[in-house]
Amino acid sequence: MRGLRSLLAILLALLAPALAWAEQPVEQTAEQLRFFETKVRPVLAEHCLACHGPKKQWSNFRVDSRASLLAGGDFGEAVVPGNPAESRLIEAVRQSGDELSMPPEGKLTDRQIADLETWIRQGAHFPAEATAKSPFRDPGHWAFQPAGDPPLPEVNNGAWVVSPLDRFLLARLEAEGLAPAPPADKRTLLRRATFDLTGLPPTPAEVADFLSDERPNAFALVVDRLLESPAYGERWGRHWLDVARYADSNGLDENIAHGNAWRYRDYVVAAFNRDKPFRQFVQEQLAGDLLPYDGDAQRGEQLIATGFLSIGPKVLAEVDETKMEMDIIDEQLDTVGRAFLGLTLGCARCHDHKFDPIDAADYYALAGVFKSTQTMDSFTKIAKWHENPLPDAAATARLETHQKLVAVKKEQIQKLVEQASAAVKEKAKEGEKSPEKLEPLYPPETTAQLKTAREELVALEKAAPEIPSAMGVTERAIVDLPIHVRGSHLKLGDVATRRVPVVFTSLEAPQFSTSHSGRLELARWITDEKHPLTYRVFVNRVWRWHFGKGLVRTTDNFGMLGEAPTHPELLDWLAARFVESGASLKSLHRLIMLSSTYRQSSLPAGEAAQHDPENRLWGRFEVRRLEAEAVRDALLAVGGTLDREQGGSLLQVKNREFFFDHTSKDKTEYTSNRRSIYLPIVRNNVYDVFGLLDYPDAAVSTSDRPTTTIAPQALLMLNSELVARASGSLAERVLAAAADDAERIGQLYALAYSREPTADELGAGQRFLRQAEQLLTTTEPDMAERSGLAWQAYCQSILAANEFIYVR
Amino acid sequence: MHAQPLSRRQMLGRSAVGFGSLALASLLADAGLAETGQAGVVDPLAPKPVHVPARAKRVIFLFMKGGPSHVDTFDPKPLLDRDDGKPCPIEKPRVQFAPTGNLLKSPWKFKQHGESGLWVSELFPHVANCADDLCLLHSVHGTNPAHGGALLKLHTGSDNFVRPSIGSWVSYGLGTENANLPGFVTICPTLAHGGINNWGAAFLPAAYQGTPLGNASVPSDQATVRYIENSRLPQPLQRLQLDLLAQANREHQSQSGPEASLEARINSFELAFRMQTEMPTIEDLSQETEATNRLYGLDDPTTANFGRMCLLARRFSERGVRFVQVTHSDGNVQWDQHSDLKQGHDKNALEVDKPIAGLLKDLKARGLLKDTLVWWGGEFGRTPVAQGKNGRDHNPEGFTMWLAGGGVQGGMRYGETDDYGYYAAVNKVHIHDLHATILHLMGLDHERLTYRYAGRDFRLTDVEGNVVDKIMA
Repeated sequence: MRGLRSLLAILLALLAPALAWAEQPVEQTAEQLRFFETKVRPVLAEHCLACHGPKKQWSNFRVDSRASLLAGGDFGEAVVPGNPAESRLIEAVRQSGDELSMPPEGKLTDRQIADLETWIRQGAHFPAEATAKSPFRDPGHWAFQPAGDPPLPEVNNGAWVVSPLDRFLLARLEAEGLAPAPPADKRTLLRRATFDLTGLPPTPAEVADFLSDERPNAFALVVDRLLESPAYGERWGRHWLDVARYADSNGLDENIAHGNAWRYRDYVVAAFNRDKPFRQFVQEQLAGDLLPYDGDAQRGEQLIATGFLSIGPKVLAEVDETKMEMDIIDEQLDTVGRAFLGLTLGCARCHDHKFDPIDAADYYALAGVFKSTQTMDSFTKIAKWHENPLPDAAATARLETHQKLVAVKKEQIQKLVEQASAAVKEKAKEGEKSPEKLEPLYPPETTAQLKTAREELVALEKAAPEIPSAMGVTERAIVDLPIHVRGSHLKLGDVATRRVPVVFTSLEAPQFSTSHSGRLELARWITDEKHPLTYRVFVNRVWRWHFGKGLVRTTDNFGMLGEAPTHPELLDWLAARFVESGASLKSLHRLIMLSSTYRQSSLPAGEAAQHDPENRLWGRFEVRRLEAEAVRDALLAVGGTLDREQGGSLLQVKNREFFFDHTSKDKTEYTSNRRSIYLPIVRNNVYDVFGLLDYPDAAVSTSDRPTTTIAPQALLMLNSELVARASGSLAERVLAAAADDAERIGQLYALAYSREPTADELGAGQRFLRQAEQLLTTTEPDMAERSGLAWQAYCQSILAANEFIYVR
Repeated sequence: MHAQPLSRRQMLGRSAVGFGSLALASLLADAGLAETGQAGVVDPLAPKPVHVPARAKRVIFLFMKGGPSHVDTFDPKPLLDRDDGKPCPIEKPRVQFAPTGNLLKSPWKFKQHGESGLWVSELFPHVANCADDLCLLHSVHGTNPAHGGALLKLHTGSDNFVRPSIGSWVSYGLGTENANLPGFVTICPTLAHGGINNWGAAFLPAAYQGTPLGNASVPSDQATVRYIENSRLPQPLQRLQLDLLAQANREHQSQSGPEASLEARINSFELAFRMQTEMPTIEDLSQETEATNRLYGLDDPTTANFGRMCLLARRFSERGVRFVQVTHSDGNVQWDQHSDLKQGHDKNALEVDKPIAGLLKDLKARGLLKDTLVWWGGEFGRTPVAQGKNGRDHNPEGFTMWLAGGGVQGGMRYGETDDYGYYAAVNKVHIHDLHATILHLMGLDHERLTYRYAGRDFRLTDVEGNVVDKIMA
């Protein structure tokens, strides 16, 4: 019976949008209507509506329509027409039981309760016009509709169009009577593109090459060169790491090292450099362990990719282990929702999503997929996450050799013991019971031998070669989860069979079998070429990372609280081209960067800025501050000290060891000159240089880093070791490059700003150096030292300036 | 988070640690001149109007890391004394941190103090002298049985998500009273058990995050703000740098098109320069009198470290910092006496008792206590039952925190635990309720103090929280 009822509940949930039948006018007499309006509606409105109405829906229950009264809430059906005794509404207002007692303060009068009973007995008529349609939870919301492939719009100024995408933007600008900004000059464009694709400034030689290249496709060649640079993957892979909430430590309550997370990071960098099709990239991260493979290398790569599901923050000392598991599943589900679909699925954990048409049944149906996936090996505090051993023939061979050595040593010890024991026993007189402990009776030389051998065994066992492993997931017992009422694992409702959310009606829903978690099916469904969200969300992020803002500004929320796209057709057109190219990101970069739109100056034409201060029409290129990593990399690059070695781990702390225990001793170190992407990301204690420059919270998936401007950032530029070091090496570099101050200043501008100084700037620089040396005479007697310090101070000002920190 | 676009005119707000935009001259002007009366004030730390009348202007949170035992400090339990060694007659919580045994009576004696007759144990003789200023909340509950979860819950209202700290919410809600200082300062915070998340702004703009002075492994006389000093360059040379920088930035700005943060960044350097001057004057305690030093216990090596933190807290509060947290934590989890309760709590209480009383008396003498809310407590209490022979386990089910000053009644007890002190029983105060109450005292309605992020309006109290009206003065 219960099974039938839950089936019915699921069916009802599936049919929820179609529940209009409950609203059908039920025949009612004028007398009944009057009774309702005078005796029932006022009571519901005064005592119930504040918490169970359009504003709040406590217990997922509202009293403002017949449908919702019949459907009830977390506590079950509220009204059974014709049967007040079985209506929980009546039970609640009678306040007879202790579970359900309403209203929370006070009690209805007996008269009021009797009226409610009468109303239910007569059929619970509820005039339909009282229902207000919510603006939310609309399955018709644009982002849930299939993306089209819109035609290219007509424009007047056809000469401006270089890439078809320009038409979408120009058409809108023209409609508003505006013109796009003029093209940026070549130096600005090269600096923009180089930071954009590699996160580094162009070298003076690269600037000279581009300036002298008169070919019409010179910029296309630059874009190709940059896309082929290993620095490209380090830059764009880092964007994805924000989405993947990448970190080298757990954070939260027990901050222990993700000693193998770096493998996932390197996988991401390589995937971008190799232009791995996005579809494959997504599938590997969700279900790499379930994909077919050709050889150890591919197998290993796919196992590493599933680290995506495991690197989130976890409350590892949660005493309530069931809660811990559900928290981890929630974190995975929320991240998958944001990262791939731009949806805040996590909102449906405790109640139906307030704004999007995703309900708790949808949530637990998806949660079942992750419940059937093994992320943790143990939930006992401090809990242990799962790691997949990586196929590595050499390491396996090393391990086997080692195991043999151990076996040999053990055998040697065994033999020694046996022989010596036999000798001792033999010595013992016949008939006498041989002593229980024989070892103390061994001859001293045997004891010594044995001690050495045992010590050797211990040392040998300690030195066991490790099989490399990666954070990641695997399959486990397959289950469907019950709905957790109000998100609590202590209050379970009906089972939600694994499935994808109902709102996606334009796609064929995958079948989840009882033999697999369903991750692979989910991954294939997410990457379905016709998925209304996946590709739109991704191309929008790519736009955001190129231009500083998305076509949909809320890049991580395409739901009903997200913003509408400024150019919906362009968004769909880009998604269509992306899918058409086999989901090649490098093709998408070319499509975007070779447009007139991308090449605009940051100085708007005419009235554009006043008319469109937010630049929603994209009539200029946005001036933007560099991200934290690019600031640091650029500082080191111009000083000539950036170490370009790729990949590997810089962690000083072993896998699963504490970064911070109760002692608060800081075991992190950021002295390396490697690119920023390789510096450890320690949750709860991100490198302060990154933290100050708006490095995002590494606990939450994001693709839209904020940019704040705060005084501590200025203190960083003025007083930090990092900037002192960078300006010191830049000063040395410039001092060594020429003998004449004017030439040196020229070199400094070429390195730091990719241009020559103006006459004014040259004069100001020389004046600064003179005055600085003068100021230093009292404290620094040595002339060379003084000059060096003055140069360093000068270089520091150049590096602290907006021109270095901002791209335009 | 996206700053709303603002016109230049609108941008003329007064700057603090976060920036709007304004001319250098007005940056250097007195705080009072800064109210521009312009339509939109973009400065995130500009003072903001309150929702309800404010009873307190600032908070000092004295955080005792590890979880001081309520039944040994402020919540005496005669039945616990009587039934020492017997099995606990009440059911233990469904989830416990560690296995525990039978009832364990307090090794300390309690006495009534002041006109109010509040009970305080002999662990806190100096604080007991201030009994008539204390409002003891005996029925706090609802953190988490593990340190990490409990710290996060206490500081941010959430034990499983990264959420803004209460200090960040307060700065977000009220701004700062001193444009040269951050709105939220935390002195020697612990880096463990949530670490920076306990004073982080999470999704709130970075201007609202706590500014740490040192951390729990640094002695308080060495605790300072990162990058506040420059040992390489003399100040006149830094001034020269800033002038060159300002000139270059203005030139760059004229060629770069509309971008508000370019000008904001120019101003940020000027403020940084002033912060650099102001911060050391607060950290410099040499102008304090001998009497003050003694009051806070600076003359005694046992109390000097924590005493200095309390004195710094007063100095920051005095200068307009909205929320100052002081953490009592050493290389161990300080108040976490799973064993050897007697030695541990004796040592810990000795270190903080005199400084805390000193702070309360000093604030009172300076007329600051009436609008400064002092908040004392740990992330949970401890069990009335023994862990091992002579320790107590974590107990988030019911424990005591106290408030003083800032609009709360003095000499008051609010709420009760059961006869043994295991569970909050009467007038329960959930952590969400406590947060709602503190915000209320500061003039903020916890249901209206929201921030929209990732498509949702977030609150410190999530969907919970009731203001405890009965404790208001």
